[in-house]
Amino acid sequence: MEELAKNLMEELECKTVFTIPVLGGLEIKESIVVTWIIMAVLILLSIFLTRNMKIDHISKRQAVAELIVTKLTGIVEGMIGEKGKAFVPYLTTVLVYIGISNIIGLFGFKSPTKDLNVTIALAVMSIVLVEAAGIYYLGVKKWLHKFTEPIAIVTPINILEVFTRPLSLCMRLFGNVLGSFVIMELIKMIVPVFLPTVFSLYFDIFDGLLQAYVFVFLTSLYIGEEIE
Amino acid sequence: MNTLIAIGAGIAVLGALGAGIGIGIATGKATEAVARQPEAESKIRNTLILGCALAEATAIYGFVIALMVIVMLK
Repeated sequence: MEELAKNLMEELECKTVFTIPVLGGLEIKESIVVTWIIMAVLILLSIFLTRNMKIDHISKRQAVAELIVTKLTGIVEGMIGEKGKAFVPYLTTVLVYIGISNIIGLFGFKSPTKDLNVTIALAVMSIVLVEAAGIYYLGVKKWLHKFTEPIAIVTPINILEVFTRPLSLCMRLFGNVLGSFVIMELIKMIVPVFLPTVFSLYFDIFDGLLQAYVFVFLTSLYIGEEIE
Repeated sequence: MNTLIAIGAGIAVLGALGAGIGIGIATGKATEAVARQPEAESKIRNTLILGCALAEATAIYGFVIALMVIVMLK
């Protein structure tokens, strides 16, 4: 038990990989390096898939690219609806990023979403986007007025919601990734053969992708509510 | 001290109770909905999975806190 606790703490700690000597030393954490790897893979894949695009007589590669783009944007569009079409590219990017970073643990990397800083950053980006969308679509006056709806007495609750929404977004993602990771470690310790494979299908793949979906769904729900 | 830590962790995990009840109710209602309208099954399934993922979050919070209690206080 002692050893397990030590192992877990070691795995959860995000190590500093190297330090950039500007502004008194910027520490580059492991999660950032893994994020860079994900970014590099996604960018290279996009460049490879979108070379030599044609209108007719499309190649197989283009067909695959079109399939991926249509499916992913279709999922997000189904959530946010016609009105929020401008937000679909951003939300799709977040969906792909969270999805990949949740299942990248299978390839031996440390999931960036297991670092609380990453999920906080994602949640802050979401809430800034939500409020900015409200200001952009409604104008400052109407946006401020929205805080007093439906009746004036709920204004404190509405203001509080601006802070509790990102909090619950980031804690949900972090807690789920952390929880499934810990459960997987425990299963690996008790039964090291066969059983971890079955459970990793649920905890690593299904739950990881589902949490990415939930994150994007909630963000699009908030945006839809705000620009209504 | 160890006993107290164990009791605290156990109490934290009680949060899973709410998730269990919530998911149970949601699944029951979804079954009723499918029985009434079998053609809407895929839509109902998507909504159910989403609702379950949201309800499960409370259980996960309890679990994480129980784990923190055990690991941090030791």
